[in-house]
Amino acid sequence: MEPFLQGLGMVFNAQTLLVILAAAVFGLFVGAIPGLTATMAVALLVPITFYMDSTPAIAAIVATSAMAIFAGDIPGTYLNIPGTPASAAYVGESHRLAQLGRARETLGTNLICSVIGGLFGTLVLVLVSPSLAEIALNFSSFEYFWLALLGLSSSIFIAIGSRLKAFLSLTVGLLLSTVGLDMMSGAPRFTFGIPDLMAGINFIPVMIGMFALNEIMMFYGTKNESRQVPVTARDSVFASVPGHLRHYWRNVLRGSSLGTLIGALPGAGADIAAWIAYALGKSRSKHKEKYGSGHIEGIVDASSANNSGISGAWVPALVFGIPGDTITAIVIGVLYMKGMNPGPTIFMEGGGQVYALFTVFFVANLIMLPLGYLAIRASKVFILTPRKMLMPVILSFCIVGAFAINNSVTDIWIMLVIGLVAFVLARNDFPMAPAILGLVLGGTLENSFMSSMLKSNGDLLAFFERPISAALGALVILIWFLPLLLRLMRRLRGRPAPQQTPRSP
Amino acid sequence: MRDFLLGLAFVIGGGVVIAVARTYPTMPTLQFGPSLFPSLIGAGMVLGGAILALTRLASVKTAWRSAGGALSAYDYRGLAISLVPCALIVFYILASDTLGAPLCMALGMLLLMLIRGAKLWLALLVSIVIAVVIYLLFSRYLLIPLPEGTLLPPSLLAW
Repeated sequence: MEPFLQGLGMVFNAQTLLVILAAAVFGLFVGAIPGLTATMAVALLVPITFYMDSTPAIAAIVATSAMAIFAGDIPGTYLNIPGTPASAAYVGESHRLAQLGRARETLGTNLICSVIGGLFGTLVLVLVSPSLAEIALNFSSFEYFWLALLGLSSSIFIAIGSRLKAFLSLTVGLLLSTVGLDMMSGAPRFTFGIPDLMAGINFIPVMIGMFALNEIMMFYGTKNESRQVPVTARDSVFASVPGHLRHYWRNVLRGSSLGTLIGALPGAGADIAAWIAYALGKSRSKHKEKYGSGHIEGIVDASSANNSGISGAWVPALVFGIPGDTITAIVIGVLYMKGMNPGPTIFMEGGGQVYALFTVFFVANLIMLPLGYLAIRASKVFILTPRKMLMPVILSFCIVGAFAINNSVTDIWIMLVIGLVAFVLARNDFPMAPAILGLVLGGTLENSFMSSMLKSNGDLLAFFERPISAALGALVILIWFLPLLLRLMRRLRGRPAPQQTPRSP
Repeated sequence: MRDFLLGLAFVIGGGVVIAVARTYPTMPTLQFGPSLFPSLIGAGMVLGGAILALTRLASVKTAWRSAGGALSAYDYRGLAISLVPCALIVFYILASDTLGAPLCMALGMLLLMLIRGAKLWLALLVSIVIAVVIYLLFSRYLLIPLPEGTLLPPSLLAW
């Protein structure tokens, strides 16, 4: 009981609550401006959280990401442009509703579904992760090797679009993870004689380059666009929501559970959760024909799923140190910097840290209600903020943020080079999530392989000698051959391959 | 066409990675040394890049046949403008020790705002205010030693 109260005390103090409020407003702003993603918001936030205690730092990240994912629905509804990729799946549906004069009702429903989805994901996190951690306590380097490989493999096979490009993107991330002194021999690798690279590439500048600088370059590469809000909204925000919830409570539940599950899979984040939930919702609906014409059911599944995905991604991140999405990939770095090493021991150590973390999730999701309501009422302010004034400001934050981690100019160069590489790759439809996972998990993969080989005197079969390790290994191999098996099964049944899910912008 | 070139770039990059990895020392007690993972990653890049390039060969042939039609339609102006933020980062790195971080940031922001057609007075006002706010936030509140420069008198930045 004492650690629980201690955890509550770490959250319910003026400083942490103020940080949560400020971070939520920041997330709201970033999410509601098209072209700025939730991951970008978190990447820009990290240099500031670096100077906070661990609880407010994590609270800031949780509040920003949850709020940004909801806020992405605002420009989606009014302008038909998703604020973040996680809103792309149902943007057509919500914009049709706005054209029918139901913009606020749509956003109100989105908001409540987002809150329920976020709380559902949090409940799963609270209930599942401590027991998973007890199992994970028995894991050795053999199991961690397979877990890291499982994460990397699923980031390729879940990726939307070309798997080959996802694989190549992964190799870029893995290559970056090898920079620095080798853990076993101490030999410097790819350091080019630069002392700052001896300790490896700090991944905050990489994140800023990949998700912020890349977006800024994309913005300047496109034509100017003027934005006007074509629809007026005078309807009530929450009046019809109870009715919708009574009607579609099954969809909310299905979207939330699916979102949590997909969020927990490494490499798949809120955007993929929303796409799959929307597709599943449509296929199970009694009114399929209404989808696409402004049907509120079309937004319920997916807007619950993207927020629950955000919470679900924390389960593998906290229990195994394997990120569930790009945001938790950043979080893992922050946890290490704060001395809270992600992994099962985080649940065993005394103190209220874990309870504080869980409480932060509940508070961050609940604060969405009042702030989201105000944001819906004042939607135009966010939508009409000119990006031509905002992008230069973000560039300045990128430069100073990259510098702030180590007070080193090398980190600004790293951000620049990575931003350029990401720009070229992203313009040619290479997904970025595998690269980030490669960078975060590359070290775990190599170190667990090397220490396993030391233990087994170089016997590769030792990876299949322990029961959990063997099962994880079999799962990884199954994932590798799954596309082949699926193709074979389709050919045997004589059915054509289904079309790929549309790419999120 | 671009996929073909990117595929080739990955093949060449992978080859370089493997070549560099071969120079790493081997460990007498262990059969796997520091070169193992970089070599595997390099091999993956070569293999993946080769498959990407080979599967796009058909598009290269069509591009050749249409006598560079796809290339001439490419938006080079857009590409050049999208590189301006990168050029400004290099400017910041090179000039901030002399001009100081706030002035470099303000100049960069002003230029970027004007490129996209912002009003001069508004761009000037926003870039100066934001540069000062960022400088104070990071330098005074978070205690990051941002370069102060030698151009402006220290007394101006001291408050």
